[in-house]
Amino acid sequence: MADFLLAKDEVDKHASALVAPLNISKSPKKLQNREPRHIRQSSSRGGHSIKSQSQISPPLTPRSSREGLPPHRLSQPVFHNYLRAFYHFHPSSTVSSSTDESSITVPINQGDVILVHSVHPNGWADGTLLASGARGWLPTNYCEAYDHLTIRNLLNALTHLWDLVRDGENGDLLVFTKQDYVRGMIAGVRFFLEKTQCLTRDSPLIVAHVGLRRMRKGLLGDLSSLVKSAKKLQETLQNETPVPVFEQLDELVLRAFKLVTRAVRFLDIWAQDAVSLSFDLGDASNNRPLTPPSDSADPSVQPPAPSNQNGEDVAPANENASAVAQASANATQEELDSAATQPPRNLHRLSVAFSIPSDSDALQSPLLPPQPQGQAKRFSVTHRLSYTGKVQGTRKQNLASERLNAAHDSFLGFIGSFIGLHLQSRSSEELTLTTQRSVVACRQLLAIVETVWERDSRRSEQLEQAREMMYTRLTDLVQATKDMFSSSEAGLGEEVVMPDSGKQLVTAATSCVRSAGDCVTKARLVIERIGDFEFENEEEGLSKTIFEQIGQEASQELEQPEEQPEPPKQTEPIAETDKPLPAPPVEERKMPPPLIISESKPLPEVPHSPSIASNRTSLQPIQPAIVESPTAVSFRSSRSSLPPVNQLPTPHLPQPSPSEYSQSPASATQRFFSKSARADSVNASVADSSSTYRYSMKGDTGSIVSQTSTRATTPDHSPAKKHSSQTLVSSFGSSSELRSMASEDVAAVEEHLLETTYAHELIYNKEGQISGGSLPALVEQLTTHESTPDAVFVTAFYLTFRLFTTPTELAQCLIDRFDYIGDSQCVGVPVRLRVYNVFKGWLESHWVGESDSAALGIIFSFATGKLRAALPAAGKRLAELTSKVTEVRAGALVPRLVSSLGKTGISNTVFTPADNNVPSPIMTRSQLSALKAWKEGKTQCSILDFDPMEMARQFTIIESKLYCSIQPEELLALEWTKKVGSKAVNVRAMSTLSNDLANLVADTILHLEDAKKRAIIIKQWVKIAVKCLELNNYDSLMAIICSLNSSMVLRLKRTWELVSAKTKARLEELKTITDVGRNYAVLRQRLQNHVAPCIPFVGIYLTDLTFVDVGNGTTRQLPGESGRDSVSVINFDKHMKTAKIIGQLQSFQVPYRLAAVPEMQEWMESQIQRVRSSDQANVQSYYRRSLLLEPREAPQIPKAAPPPVDSSAASTITADSRTNSKDRFEFLNFHFSSTNSVKDR
Amino acid sequence: MSQREYHIVVLGSGGVGKSCLTAQFVQNVWIESYDPTIEDSYRKAIEVDGRHVILEILDTAGTEQFTAMRELYMKTGQGFLLVFSITSMSSLYELTELREQIRRIKEDDNVPMVLVGNKSDLEEDRSVPRARAFNVSQQWGGVPYYETSARRRANVDEVFVDLCRQIIQKDRREYAEKRQRTKKRANRRRPKCTIL
Repeated sequence: MADFLLAKDEVDKHASALVAPLNISKSPKKLQNREPRHIRQSSSRGGHSIKSQSQISPPLTPRSSREGLPPHRLSQPVFHNYLRAFYHFHPSSTVSSSTDESSITVPINQGDVILVHSVHPNGWADGTLLASGARGWLPTNYCEAYDHLTIRNLLNALTHLWDLVRDGENGDLLVFTKQDYVRGMIAGVRFFLEKTQCLTRDSPLIVAHVGLRRMRKGLLGDLSSLVKSAKKLQETLQNETPVPVFEQLDELVLRAFKLVTRAVRFLDIWAQDAVSLSFDLGDASNNRPLTPPSDSADPSVQPPAPSNQNGEDVAPANENASAVAQASANATQEELDSAATQPPRNLHRLSVAFSIPSDSDALQSPLLPPQPQGQAKRFSVTHRLSYTGKVQGTRKQNLASERLNAAHDSFLGFIGSFIGLHLQSRSSEELTLTTQRSVVACRQLLAIVETVWERDSRRSEQLEQAREMMYTRLTDLVQATKDMFSSSEAGLGEEVVMPDSGKQLVTAATSCVRSAGDCVTKARLVIERIGDFEFENEEEGLSKTIFEQIGQEASQELEQPEEQPEPPKQTEPIAETDKPLPAPPVEERKMPPPLIISESKPLPEVPHSPSIASNRTSLQPIQPAIVESPTAVSFRSSRSSLPPVNQLPTPHLPQPSPSEYSQSPASATQRFFSKSARADSVNASVADSSSTYRYSMKGDTGSIVSQTSTRATTPDHSPAKKHSSQTLVSSFGSSSELRSMASEDVAAVEEHLLETTYAHELIYNKEGQISGGSLPALVEQLTTHESTPDAVFVTAFYLTFRLFTTPTELAQCLIDRFDYIGDSQCVGVPVRLRVYNVFKGWLESHWVGESDSAALGIIFSFATGKLRAALPAAGKRLAELTSKVTEVRAGALVPRLVSSLGKTGISNTVFTPADNNVPSPIMTRSQLSALKAWKEGKTQCSILDFDPMEMARQFTIIESKLYCSIQPEELLALEWTKKVGSKAVNVRAMSTLSNDLANLVADTILHLEDAKKRAIIIKQWVKIAVKCLELNNYDSLMAIICSLNSSMVLRLKRTWELVSAKTKARLEELKTITDVGRNYAVLRQRLQNHVAPCIPFVGIYLTDLTFVDVGNGTTRQLPGESGRDSVSVINFDKHMKTAKIIGQLQSFQVPYRLAAVPEMQEWMESQIQRVRSSDQANVQSYYRRSLLLEPREAPQIPKAAPPPVDSSAASTITADSRTNSKDRFEFLNFHFSSTNSVKDR
Repeated sequence: MSQREYHIVVLGSGGVGKSCLTAQFVQNVWIESYDPTIEDSYRKAIEVDGRHVILEILDTAGTEQFTAMRELYMKTGQGFLLVFSITSMSSLYELTELREQIRRIKEDDNVPMVLVGNKSDLEEDRSVPRARAFNVSQQWGGVPYYETSARRRANVDEVFVDLCRQIIQKDRREYAEKRQRTKKRANRRRPKCTIL
């Protein structure tokens, strides 16, 4: 296999070596014949051989890049969420045909950062420009992956935000009522500034570099407005009245975009100046000439600096941007071409600004322009895997990930039956069929894995190994099957295949399953890394052919390193071939064709729409919008895109409100954007911007936006431009914006930012709840200052923290939090108070002396030391608590405030009939005196003597007492299942009581020898059960029904014949309620609607808790970095689930308002005691008794064959049957010797 | 027969890892978070011998102490996984009692059943020799015996598939029998509703 793969790579290289020259000769037609084109998920980075590399000097500028085409590489496997443009791309038309809005291209400018949603095989990406918010197709070959350690957290936060907003469109706005996502952004910014060593105003870099200083301030300003938007949104959502919030969502996204864009600019400057400062300042002059050359005939490609709005009047900034881009190109080249002489500095800068996770990524070169369609092979679209993953609607069924899962499932199904088949004798015919199916399923799975592997140009070694292993295993399996058939066919013909002969097969199949699992896991990892993509082939054909080709047609397959199974010649023509193909941008710099990838839509015509194009070249603010439909298209719709901003009219309107001041022009892309355009992008105060700030900080960020919004305007230094820029330059990055922002806002944000934070170590789930995080991050969440910590979260934390940390660690972590937050008025003090509150809550209500006392010393010294110094009163109080907590032996100091869980404290109040609303006991005097007589030992009482309702009540009181005393600690970490030394005394008592009640029911029925009497007792118990249901006492109900439903009672046919139909019907009803089917669906449903008091069936919670415990891991990975250097944090989701279940249980822990009848309870307890202490109280002896009462009928035990006996005749049971039943039980005796232990378990 | 639904009950004393076994089987490997409180938590569609079946698994892990409930659970099952831990001899003994209880309730000596020795990854702690367990399975009338490791996901699917196949065959057999004597009243395909 290894050889085979190697050979394939070889072929790739040759192929691409051939291809490169073809490209150079600009003959796209020949390109069409090139078979193995790897999509870039990055578009084609064909296989490159070092040889071809050294011959063709990689371009320094786009022009040269077109002439000396960058060598193809293998497809770029990593799906980058962010790209950065390093060339301009200005198609003369943004819409290929005016009717089709899904083929909008979006102009990009050098330096633009793009959030990528999906990448089409031909190299076009569906992306959103952060600078403008415009979404559309853009050529990936003009871009480069954008990622850097410092900014990664911020980018991840943005991606998360984006996904949330997209989910939000589907109506799920819950997350926006919390500020967690904003915290993520803040943490991102903080992390970013921290890593760039610019966190504080006083950091040397900031002090020394005025540009960075300003950028930093701008960044804080952006952050502040983002926070404001988020708050506004939160407030809107908290209003009861449903208001459309889409605009606010849009605003939120755009502000986040703006923030990130600025951070990117910051990083550029930082990378260029700040870092070089510390190395070699002089080198700056080595910067390459900027930007693409201006010799292009195509007006859509902007000439460099002069006409580039980027330039503005501030050269440095622009230079800066291009320099970075340049640098990356250079560095790329340098890595490829060792002969190239690059200033080391460039490389260094590259590594700073564009460092990319792995070596192979770093080699990224300008990506190839889109290839003409109509090739034999098409590559599928690559999608970004959404973190939230809730965007089901837009998901494709044939996404690789889904395919993978489906194939694995079906494989497991088949192979499972295959294995099963061999464990028993089957006809060989059946065997053949199953074998075939298994193999087919295996093929399908392999084909998919293959595809994934192929697609990943990095050729994940792990996956390869796993796959090879699976191949091997499958071959073994096939071979084993063959062997068996050949032998069996020779010998036995259609005879049955004996199970023994299948043993080998089973082993082979089992290992096949195991390797398949491994393989799938690895494949999934790869998909995560390279992005999800779509399969374009029919599942069936694909897998079959691939499989058949294994071995036989290996050489053919070698030539096509992708999923298309057929050899190239056989590939069916694809529909698109005859369509006019868009010329790739490579071609003479023709405008890149707009792209459509939506399956149903036609390919775009080559876009030469003069009218639109011309519109774009001159700026006419009041010009009506040309593109109609696109404006209506939400930028969120997955396929369609927004028109470029510059096509929108930009009337001068008064500014709506100061708070909207900072709104970027990108707001023009908002969904509800009206034709009259948003005014806030044009803010009046911008006027002074051009004159005041001539600094780089303004330069690029500003220019990017202004470029998108006013693309055709000339640079700032030209007079004409001055005017337009005054009107159109966005507020983004302009000084006016910063000024307009209240300085205290900035200060607040800054202060906010200065907080150490671990927010980037938190994971949120789809619902926006915290599902994971490191301990410091969780502690931070407990002590946020801007909002009251989520009560559910806090309760869950208190309840479960001992499962993932120690009390000492927690105390230390809280103290650290106290330390690092500082003592500033608006942040430090509130947070410190919260830290104190957490301690207080812990000591008062959640203290578990046994385990927590270890932390007491730390807490005490903290209280008397740091805390007292900072907050004297709090320190004193906490010190008091520490001493109090040692005094109290049991129970919490203060009844737990379980309001979050809906519980109001535990008190086993016994109500007396004197209380209002307490029903008076249904007891007659004679009943009471009967009980008295019983107590004196004079008479016996029977359950028939009392009212069913009253008995149900007294049972309920007894049971409720136990239920209400269940402590949450008993339910953690499977405490109640511990065989020795379990602390879960109350849970245990509940189960014992439940068993006793069930046994009592059986006992009362089975001790009667008269069937008629038994029937009456059954009726009475059914009545009691009905009353229990009325009292919401499901635990007793369960026990009674269980017993009535048990085999020993149920088999008493003659007894049941005497039970009335009415009683039976009632019992049936009760049975449906207690039905265990569908995971107690009926019971759960009922419990949901109950309010306390109620005694649910505790068993459900115990099972749930067990499965939460075993079904969820203790840690989870932080997203974004699958595989390598991933960080595991506490899987808080598990603990939340645990706490939720316990919370449900607690919410019912409310005592009943019922009057106890001590006499009756006493009698009941004694009955229960009697049953409990009886060694007859086990299923076996009851069953034996049941057999004695009503022996089995003849057909069941032919030997026994007792004559029909009448009900009173236990003694008439034949010796025969007695022996028989005795035999049965003796057979069981060896393990029944310890029936009690079994019972108590 | 298109999609049939079969009820499987997982039994065994506490601590043998049966919940692990169930969770492994039921859980979608890719789902990060497992919620056992919803109706579908224990349902899984699989394909056995080309038939699509839905398994509903009843695993009452955590409620082993509620011995009185056992029969209730058992009633619903058409097939049973009897799980013990190879590290605990007593966990095997306790199964014998459970098996008898099943036979009693089902009034049937051929209830589909699989004997499962879990924790096969803890070979060094093994206290139930394989042969011993196999003997037990033979005594039970040739019930299939598997050793699984829920932790390593070894043989997990296999035990469920095997059990499912037994159920299907029993189903088929009884269907055929029923058709042979159409007039007979007993439809024993769903034995749980026979008695009353």
